[in-house]
Amino acid sequence: MIDVRDLHRSFGGVTALDGVTLAVAEGERRAIIGPNGAGKTTLFNILTGELAPTGGTVRLAGEDVTGRRTFELARRGLARMYQRNELFDPLTARENVALALTAKAGPYRFGGIPADEARAADELLERVGLAGAGATPARALSHGQRRQLELAVALATAPRVLLLDEPTAGMSPAETARIAELIASLARSLTLLVVEHDMDVVFRLADRITVLHEGKVIADGTPAQVRGDTLVNEVYLGKVIAE
Amino acid sequence: MSRIAGLRPRVGGLRPRAPGFVALGLGALALVTFPYWSRDWESSRYATTVLRDILVFAILALSLDLLMGYVGLPSLGHAAFFGAGAYAAAIASQRLETEALFVTLPAGVLVATLLALGIGLFAVRASGIFFLMLTLAFAQMVFSFAFQATDITGGSNGFAGVRRPELFGISFSAAEELYVLVAVSFLATAFVLWRITRSPYGRTLVAIRENERRMRALGYDTRAIKLSAFALAGALAGLAGALSAYSLRFVSANDAGIGTSITAFVMVLIGGAGTLAGPAVGAAVVILIERVLNSYIPFSQTVLGVVFVVFVLAARQGVVGAARTAWARARG
Repeated sequence: MIDVRDLHRSFGGVTALDGVTLAVAEGERRAIIGPNGAGKTTLFNILTGELAPTGGTVRLAGEDVTGRRTFELARRGLARMYQRNELFDPLTARENVALALTAKAGPYRFGGIPADEARAADELLERVGLAGAGATPARALSHGQRRQLELAVALATAPRVLLLDEPTAGMSPAETARIAELIASLARSLTLLVVEHDMDVVFRLADRITVLHEGKVIADGTPAQVRGDTLVNEVYLGKVIAE
Repeated sequence: MSRIAGLRPRVGGLRPRAPGFVALGLGALALVTFPYWSRDWESSRYATTVLRDILVFAILALSLDLLMGYVGLPSLGHAAFFGAGAYAAAIASQRLETEALFVTLPAGVLVATLLALGIGLFAVRASGIFFLMLTLAFAQMVFSFAFQATDITGGSNGFAGVRRPELFGISFSAAEELYVLVAVSFLATAFVLWRITRSPYGRTLVAIRENERRMRALGYDTRAIKLSAFALAGALAGLAGALSAYSLRFVSANDAGIGTSITAFVMVLIGGAGTLAGPAVGAAVVILIERVLNSYIPFSQTVLGVVFVVFVLAARQGVVGAARTAWARARG
């Protein structure tokens, strides 16, 4: 589904990605882990077209999409749950989801807001545990609820590939458990890429794990393989677990 | 606040809103027929003229508010489209030797729309202060052209003797009929914008203002959407320009100049950006100070400056925004 070849990206003199190659199969759940500054967010930004690579190619469902603009990739079924909340703050939770639901219908509609739209939005809100919050402005939701709304917005575009950028960041243990449960319950046909620092969540969710370090892939395998990798333990897992 | 509103039983349906619509309809009727029912005490037609000019500028301010208030694109070059519409209507009338409204008015709107598409293609790539500077620069180019292309625009002398339009035998040459044309255009513009702000398209514009990055990630071609709003705003500014040309029977390069752009900008800010009534109220405040107050006291422009400063410092949401806040507070 996603095929990344020899991806390079540098910012001025700093190399963020130094020849990253990875392939994610359709329906696979892939975690991408590594210390801060390993290039995980840069990789996500390139996959969504928000950043152009300085070298290498990205393929989405077989099509070369390197350098495509973000909205074109979104239309091809790529969605992202952002690490920091990217919501429409003054709009209600329902409107936030509705904007995602109707993205395919296009913006050039001048009639009234369709009546069935609210129902579809409320169904999604209920699915992520936000039943009854439809009329609340996004800015009035708690941090945990905003993360849930983020997920609802990402799901509302009916994506084929979903990028989750630290879905549990800043959440309480109870909220973390709930969102992890929610992600685990998503359709198996959906391809997931997860960047996450909570190793419990990573090892519970992922079919395969890719470890990035200083812009390079240092390991790629099943959770058991990665857990047993000496280099990975040295640069990352050892430290995380010690904490 | 919204939680409380959510708990309140919903009073949907037509019934509670109907009196509002009736009042609005009667108000609109009174506005359009103003020159006829005011004849007895307003024989000089001074008030009709002032009200007409307020409405012309209200259309311009409304069109700018679509960009400023809804899409979040503060333009300092909106007069370019006002001027283009005014010149195009005047020149079409002169060159084609016609007074037909259905020729000159569309000419004004069309030329303004095309100009807005051309300028917008570059301008919407920027945002914030850079958008402001780009629109200003483009508008100054339009102004310079109008000021120097003497053969086409009359240059520094302006374009005098614009003919007032007629439509299927109805002449709009008298002050009363011209006023009706302007008032109907104003109501049509307000209605169109009211519909837009309640449509999926309008919601898309607000969402772009709030988080353009997110909109792109959802699959919206935000650049194209912003361009469409820019062109629509340009078209309505062109309509205002054509009406100004009919009203004053004169077009000056200053109509496309920075002074006019700033006037429209100030109207939106004083009235309240992001509201429909705001720009109209702002247009009334500014024109009344400039025109009416000016004949009673000296330094009326200074008064306008003070009013503007007060609004920027104390009531950034403008007259309409402040009134709404006060109303909400009074109701608890």
